[in-house]
Amino acid sequence: MKDYSGVVLTTPISLGYARQSPHGAAWFVGSVLREMISTAGLTKKDIDGFSVSSFSLGVDSAVALTQHFGLCVRWLEQANVGGVSGILALRRAARAVQCGEAEIVACIGGDGAAHRSFETTAAHFSNWSTDAAFPYGAAGPNGPFSLITAHYMERYQAQREDFARICLDQRYNANHFSGALLGHKKLSLSDYLNARPIAGPLHLFDCVMPCAGGEGFLVMSEDRANQLNLPAVRILAADECHNAHADDPIQDRGGWTEYIQDLYNRAATGPQDVDFLQTYDDYPVISMLQMEDLGFCSKGNAPAFVGQTDMRFDQSGPGVNKLPHNTSGGQLSCGQAGAAAGFLGVTESLRQLTGKAQKNQVSNARVGLVSGYGMVNYDRGICTAAAMLQGVAR
Amino acid sequence: MNIKDKMRKRLKLGRPSLRARARPPKHRSVCGSQFSAANLPGILQLQNCTDCGHVQYPPTELCGACLGSTLIYRDTPCTGTLLAQSQLHHSLWEYFKRRIKEAPWTIASVQLDVGPVAIVHLAAGDLKTGNRVQVFSHSDASRSVVLIAVPASADITTPALRQAIITTIQLDQPAKRQQGI
Repeated sequence: MKDYSGVVLTTPISLGYARQSPHGAAWFVGSVLREMISTAGLTKKDIDGFSVSSFSLGVDSAVALTQHFGLCVRWLEQANVGGVSGILALRRAARAVQCGEAEIVACIGGDGAAHRSFETTAAHFSNWSTDAAFPYGAAGPNGPFSLITAHYMERYQAQREDFARICLDQRYNANHFSGALLGHKKLSLSDYLNARPIAGPLHLFDCVMPCAGGEGFLVMSEDRANQLNLPAVRILAADECHNAHADDPIQDRGGWTEYIQDLYNRAATGPQDVDFLQTYDDYPVISMLQMEDLGFCSKGNAPAFVGQTDMRFDQSGPGVNKLPHNTSGGQLSCGQAGAAAGFLGVTESLRQLTGKAQKNQVSNARVGLVSGYGMVNYDRGICTAAAMLQGVAR
Repeated sequence: MNIKDKMRKRLKLGRPSLRARARPPKHRSVCGSQFSAANLPGILQLQNCTDCGHVQYPPTELCGACLGSTLIYRDTPCTGTLLAQSQLHHSLWEYFKRRIKEAPWTIASVQLDVGPVAIVHLAAGDLKTGNRVQVFSHSDASRSVVLIAVPASADITTPALRQAIITTIQLDQPAKRQQGI
């Protein structure tokens, strides 16, 4: 696979997180675009590529938004793939810039959260889900993920205390990130263990809070970012694989296994070299699957791994092994803003690698791994993607 | 205000779930409706590919193995193995919210011996992972067909026996609203 040289990611924007919002998805996408071009010192005319991810645009598509926002673009994409939309957007936009099809691509994910809109999204998520998952208890994603979690706990002897390690350290990170919806609240082990039950082994703090919000970043050539004097991040390697291991009766691994070694080879780095890891944390067990499949520990050893690992951004925890993980608190503490959740790890990585994270800055962050997972079409998430990113030294 | 106006107002407010009798989700895709229709008789009917013999679930328009277009519903062996189970304490749907107020609702994941994995209602409390189960189809209180798993030892040979199992988990009854909103 050809490398991504000459292309950079810049101008991460995260805005508008709210538990409920009167605004629609277009408002969040457009607001991210506005903030993005003003932060980068651009005008709308400079944006000639546009990539949109959203669950709640309804009958509007990405091209409808170009008319709403008065954009004229020569490269357009709509990647509605939930938890991998950020990494998919950056891969495709990087190739577009590399091949000269676009100069500056705005990649944006955004979703609203109208009253009871989550029920509608869950009830009509996909045909298989409507026909064969939702009628069974109508638990939304909690249903399939409670089965996946129950199976993982039984097969690998994981305990709720192991999942708590992920949730607690992420909440600590969120306590230092102003954009996190739950960042003002502390979370203790007893809060976690005594939370009300939701589905099987999942309790309240294992579940993300659906919310509204927008996330985005710009993709352009390294030269252009230099001219604009924008702090930038290179893509060392990135990959994706969907619907892997389809014959596993119940999910305990994802498509990362199919490319991760190749990705590390292309990036000339390994899991031991990364300064932080951003996983897609819709449920803590899914972060554990990623730690295993991305090579941070072997299959089934994530419970022991998180027990020994300090996942706080400032390495202030007691764990011997240090791995800052989901440094803004992830979705478990920021909230899950629909398709924007697939951008959360990317924008947070960009802030960390350009030194623009504020109170939650990881010291000396140079290389970071971000991973995506998503789309529970029926009984499991079928999309996976990962990207190794490196800050451009100034 | 008569009942019709009252219902119209509730629908306008987006609160249809406050109706006196809540029912399970009725909406299905076209393939899902065909699955319901095909499963009215018999214990379990799944799509079989006449080209490659693949047994398909959830229902689709084309065979998931060979992409052939001649899937037909046939009587299918209903035995399988329990992969995982989960007690739901929270639901997005009023029918299940009301049921869960009385007791947690149990769902499970079953690997059928013919291949597919099915998410099912579990109508027995004492099953463990790896236990043998049978999965049968039955219409629920919305007249849509759902799958129910019972222990391998349970007798499900007649419609009356299957109906009795459905009745014990109250799946054929709408969930009535208790006093007050």
